[in-house]
Amino acid sequence: MTTLAMPRRWQLPGWGLCLLLALIGELTYFTITTRYFAANGVPGILVLAEQFAPTGVLALGMAMVILTGSIDLSAGATASLTAIVCGLGLEKGYNMWLCILAALLAGTLVGLANGLLVALAGIDSLLVTLATQFIVTSVLTSLAGAEPPFNFSVTFQGLGQGAIADVPDDVLVFLVLGVATILIVNYTTLGRSIVLVGFSQRAAQYTGVATRRTLASVFTMNGAFAGVAGVLLAAYYNSAQPDTGTILLLPAITIVVLGGVDIFGGRGRIGEVIIAGFLLGYLSQGMLIEGNSSLTITMVTGLVLIGALVLKISLERNFRQALAVRLQRLRTWHPSLSRPD
Amino acid sequence: MTSAGRREDASARSGPAAAPTMRAGSTYGAIDVTKSFDDVTVLHEVSVQFQPGEVHSVVGENGAGKSTLLKLMAGVYHPDSGSLMLGGETLGPLSPRDAQRRGIYLVPQEPRLMPDLSVAENLYLGALARRRFGTVAWRVMNEATGGMISSVGLRVDPRTQAGRLSLAQQQLLECARALSRGCGIIFFDEPTSPLTAHDAEKLFGLMDQLRGQGLTLGFISHRLDEVQEISDRITVLRDGAVVAREERGTATRDELVQAMIGRKLSVTRRAEPGRAPATGVLMLDVADLRIPPQVNGMSVQVRAGEIVGLAGLVGSGRTEFAETLFGLRLPAGGTVKVAGRDVTGFSPRKCIDAGLAYLAEDRGRSGIFADVDIARNESSAILARLPRRLGVFIRPRREQELARDAAQRMDVRASSISSAIKTLSGGNQQKALLARWMLAKPRVAVLDEPTRGVDIGAKESIYQIIESMAGEGLAVLVISSEMEDLIRVCDRVYAVYEGRITGELGGSDITLEAIGHLVVSAS
Repeated sequence: MTTLAMPRRWQLPGWGLCLLLALIGELTYFTITTRYFAANGVPGILVLAEQFAPTGVLALGMAMVILTGSIDLSAGATASLTAIVCGLGLEKGYNMWLCILAALLAGTLVGLANGLLVALAGIDSLLVTLATQFIVTSVLTSLAGAEPPFNFSVTFQGLGQGAIADVPDDVLVFLVLGVATILIVNYTTLGRSIVLVGFSQRAAQYTGVATRRTLASVFTMNGAFAGVAGVLLAAYYNSAQPDTGTILLLPAITIVVLGGVDIFGGRGRIGEVIIAGFLLGYLSQGMLIEGNSSLTITMVTGLVLIGALVLKISLERNFRQALAVRLQRLRTWHPSLSRPD
Repeated sequence: MTSAGRREDASARSGPAAAPTMRAGSTYGAIDVTKSFDDVTVLHEVSVQFQPGEVHSVVGENGAGKSTLLKLMAGVYHPDSGSLMLGGETLGPLSPRDAQRRGIYLVPQEPRLMPDLSVAENLYLGALARRRFGTVAWRVMNEATGGMISSVGLRVDPRTQAGRLSLAQQQLLECARALSRGCGIIFFDEPTSPLTAHDAEKLFGLMDQLRGQGLTLGFISHRLDEVQEISDRITVLRDGAVVAREERGTATRDELVQAMIGRKLSVTRRAEPGRAPATGVLMLDVADLRIPPQVNGMSVQVRAGEIVGLAGLVGSGRTEFAETLFGLRLPAGGTVKVAGRDVTGFSPRKCIDAGLAYLAEDRGRSGIFADVDIARNESSAILARLPRRLGVFIRPRREQELARDAAQRMDVRASSISSAIKTLSGGNQQKALLARWMLAKPRVAVLDEPTRGVDIGAKESIYQIIESMAGEGLAVLVISSEMEDLIRVCDRVYAVYEGRITGELGGSDITLEAIGHLVVSAS
């Protein structure tokens, strides 16, 4: 009988540490170089996070979808839809909580539709959500009409702009949902199914994992998360524009991949996605305060993403060995060798 | 990439030769190569020389480092130390592409063809024959392909989709591809394990012919008789080191086995003549199961404590039968009862909960989660039954302990329970999967090709695991195309041919001849 070693209880998540160091470095940099960035101390820095908390919430749902090896292109539009549903309700004078509930329900239903199409019809998620994204966009645009709802009650605005113990409400929502997502992914049957389906849907099926139910659940949850993001957006901007969530789709996906989630599924940690959310969010906030144009910020985001992914791949492989092999190949490369016989 | 691609097109435009241009092989050797993955040394200072005009076999148990050695020589992996010598020249770091340019081709265990492209397109992949305006010269290409594939003994229409070829034919096509690219050094990584004896004979015929043309051939196999039949030279690896070098006729089969595993092997039969038929409770009762055209009414019964075999050739419907039992396919008719309960048409999940376990035939794709650690691979079949905190949250530590205990019972050899399962050898992967299914506490275990791609030593321990499963009162159904497996472990054997049970053998009637006769004809 052989003895098998148990793993260490705590293992250092390398990529998470890199992201955390980058975040600290970034905050330090902006604090030193930009006068207004830390003018109000820690609470001031936290308030800056209000702006990107909804994107973070979208990224959490998206991370679960991507962990299964799928993608949801309709999440941004779904957030816009829920913002408008919530806004219209408020404008008509319904109870605030009822409006929020309706918004969450709308998001969940869109997610459920996506999930059922992906799981039962077996259509690739990219195509399904590309289609539902169009449908949702047209529905929400006609709902919004010529004058989208704006100027809501003070209590509702408080959701997007208030704070509990210096932590702004929507940052709090992001963090709470973040912890919930960590628990779901790491410690529940559903979470384990998500990961296994992401690594190999076929093997998952052969080992009795309910693959279809898992896919349907993940898309439904993502819809609900988009609903939360939509409500937060409406509260933060005190209005519900038709593109308010739509433009956050790509930033959300960016956060997920920067957070180290494999775009083909299986590998990834939610904790690292949360840190990546703060990293990217503060990057754009800091640069805005520095006085950069949004064009510059977009470009820097792209560069950061490429740099980070290259670094990550290098960390995973034996970097030096890989580099040595590549250099050697470059040196020994000869045109005559590349011609086939 | 683009410039290289254009060059390839240009050379192809001149028109391919009607028959493959053979290039004689050169001497190709590895000198003191060492290779480790993570902390595990897979090869330790191994030296081996492949000579032109010879078939040189590398044999060893699974995990001995045979595949790693060939992959190293074909540029798939890079040695940590040591060097590769091609005809007196030391090679630098090699990519698979470089290797092919230098005439080295590895025919992998699973052919790497594009299943949706034609035979001709696969042969010319990346170098399609062109006409003047860059359009593809289909006719020229198909005709040339015909000549080339028939020279390796493959007789199919060049326009056939590669995915429709049998495994054996796909391997021949791989050989043709190597030859059409002028490769003079061809390595075969266990080409015969999925082949029938007849197809393997064909492949050996081709190897013999290529040897006559002065090519350098390397060969890996688990089947020692065929190794002895074909090889001019045999290198035996054990635990990543060379333990014996033999030439044709210098070693007996027993000596080879001993060198490979370091001990002698005794083959025993489980079902002694005169052993009373099993009288346990009927655990698996399949009546007239049908999924045309593969399965046409199969009835199988297995009692508790009994090991029953299902013998059949590849394509006889035995895997489709098993997958239907396990709810992966919907039957057109018939019933499946596990421990008296009708589970026909249940999902795999419900089948597992009803007490059924199915070890899948295709371990690499349907069995393991390659990148996932051993612990989570084992627990994947019993997610809902894992120890929880507050009844909700899985306790990873307890899960790992559970997996570790199960893996130790199955004698899985790995450095840690958190190693990715793909780092284990085939035999150890299979044992980890058996541990997965034992954790599910089944009453019926259906094992599909439990010893495929597994070496002699691990085979024996898998036999013992199967016997201990039956000893604990499980009903075990073993599906195998290896007759030796069935003779070794089974109390009773059903033979399948074209989706029908063609016979049933028990006790001393289970012989190679009897099974062999039943699986090839519906008498």
